[in-house]
Amino acid sequence: MTEAQSETTEQEPLFAAAGGGLAILLKVEVPADAICWHRFFGAMQLALLCLLFLSGGLMAFAYTPVPGTAYDSVDYFQFSLPLGNVVRGLHHYAWNLLLIVMGLHLLRALILGAYKAPRQIVWISGVAFFLVIPLFIITGDLLPWDQKGYWSTQVRFSIIASIPVVGDFLVQLFRGGSLTGIVALTRLYVLHILLLPCALVLLIGLHLYFLATRGISGPLSDDEIPRPKALFMPTIVNRWLALFILTAIGMGLVAWHWPAALGDPADPTDSAFIPRPEWWVLFLNQLVAIFKGPFMVLGSAIIPGGLVFLLGALPFLDRSPERRPSKRMGVMVAAAVVLAAVTVLSVMGYVEHFVRPEH
Amino acid sequence: MLENKVSISRQTAVENQFQISRRAFLTTSVLAGGAVVLAAIPMVSIVVLPSLKKGTGKWVDFGKADKLPPDDFSMLSYEFMTKDGWIDLPQRGFVWAKTDAKNGVKVFSSTCSHLACNVIWNRDTRMFECPCHTGRFDPDGLPVAGPPKKPLFLLPHKVEEGKILVHITL
Ligand code: HEM
Ligand code: FES
Repeated sequence: MTEAQSETTEQEPLFAAAGGGLAILLKVEVPADAICWHRFFGAMQLALLCLLFLSGGLMAFAYTPVPGTAYDSVDYFQFSLPLGNVVRGLHHYAWNLLLIVMGLHLLRALILGAYKAPRQIVWISGVAFFLVIPLFIITGDLLPWDQKGYWSTQVRFSIIASIPVVGDFLVQLFRGGSLTGIVALTRLYVLHILLLPCALVLLIGLHLYFLATRGISGPLSDDEIPRPKALFMPTIVNRWLALFILTAIGMGLVAWHWPAALGDPADPTDSAFIPRPEWWVLFLNQLVAIFKGPFMVLGSAIIPGGLVFLLGALPFLDRSPERRPSKRMGVMVAAAVVLAAVTVLSVMGYVEHFVRPEH
Repeated sequence: MLENKVSISRQTAVENQFQISRRAFLTTSVLAGGAVVLAAIPMVSIVVLPSLKKGTGKWVDFGKADKLPPDDFSMLSYEFMTKDGWIDLPQRGFVWAKTDAKNGVKVFSSTCSHLACNVIWNRDTRMFECPCHTGRFDPDGLPVAGPPKKPLFLLPHKVEEGKILVHITL
């Protein structure tokens, strides 16, 4: 072996790995039918999560998790730093929109039977997002230490505490004690910017890995014509990038024009402040309100938990290879009933908390 | 004949595809560049720009000028509140005042000109001593031993209504 040869073999592994990775990525093909309007939601979720990570990372540069001071730091970020208002607004609007897009993404997969074999694991990893994202929201809500965040957190803690046996323990674990003060704020902060982001990145990786290995579902027609292909790079990647740019600019303008709300600093002695539930939990709040006394656990844990469990188990409950919605009336009707119930409960909650808020 | 035509069209197809993919990769670079620029703008305005703010000076009142012992060095300690980002924090420190019958008052910064430890006046050796790397300064603040190469900073001061005021920059 000559010297030159031995040198190249020494350097090779690193470069080969990088080059090989790129070469593989350049060759990845996806069925051309991946490009259609109802598959837009997945890409939109990626764009929104990128925005959440970027804006959150920037906010973390000027945030201190200390009661009182936390409020000053968010106020300083939003009103004293150039573009602070836009970045905080982006973070705020991005998670709101993400929830909507996640709902539509799930609904599409449900209607088109995309959860069926061999994609059960893709579906289950997708349902897991519905456990992680709400945790992001309820941990993030306390961070600005304003009245709304503080009192909403108190309400959430008492709802969790009402779960028999484990409830009190869970709340103590979240708060790190019996107070909602600096220990609680630090715990929620670490969850929000360290543990949950790690879990989320892992989950995104798994979801996409399962998707890549199991393949995306084909058109509903049963004829076995070979599907035309499109290159992942650059065709799909270009669309993702364009979507990210459009979303960032569009939502940035919205955030600039309609700043995210920052209420008064939290005042634990103020008993007059009544937090209103946010739009996405109205149905859960209503569910909790319907079941009183010993039955409260039905609304706070058993029904929501059961629904998430059923959702995750769907690929094993509906196992026929049939994917056309018209031939899967059972699933369609069940989904419509759940959707209608959530809508009705949300409207009831909206009327109770926003139209006649004196109750 | 037919064979020939097919192969020609196949070749142009391949060339076309090459052209298309070249254009697409150019688009990728432009889009990726755009995304990076977009993300970099708030990074600059939120992380870089605020870091460039210069420290502001402040006249600190150390009381009656004639209370300073004559022909001696005295440590003047200060503590005042300063806006540090989003909160007011106390800033503590001290400076050295030198009173000299001939030349009047001089005020030295206590910051060592080497690596910014606090220097201490030693009455016995009549030198400013730095505890970090044994730097030594003479009574005029000039470096005489150890790693420091530059003299101690002289701070602007003035006497107003009998009080000594020192300009301290943070
Ligand atoms: C690594 C990623 C993230 C980091 C570093 C981060 C960081 C932060 C910081 C520092 C705050 C406090 C400033 C403020 O309240 O405006 C905050 C607030 C918040 N974050 Fe995040 N975040 C991340 C991801 C997410 C995600 C994925 C979600 C939800 C899907 C989310 C939801 C929230 C919410 C609801 C608030 C409360 C602010 C508001 O009222 O709009 N965050 N985040
Ligand atoms: S810092 Fe004073 S001698 Fe090094």
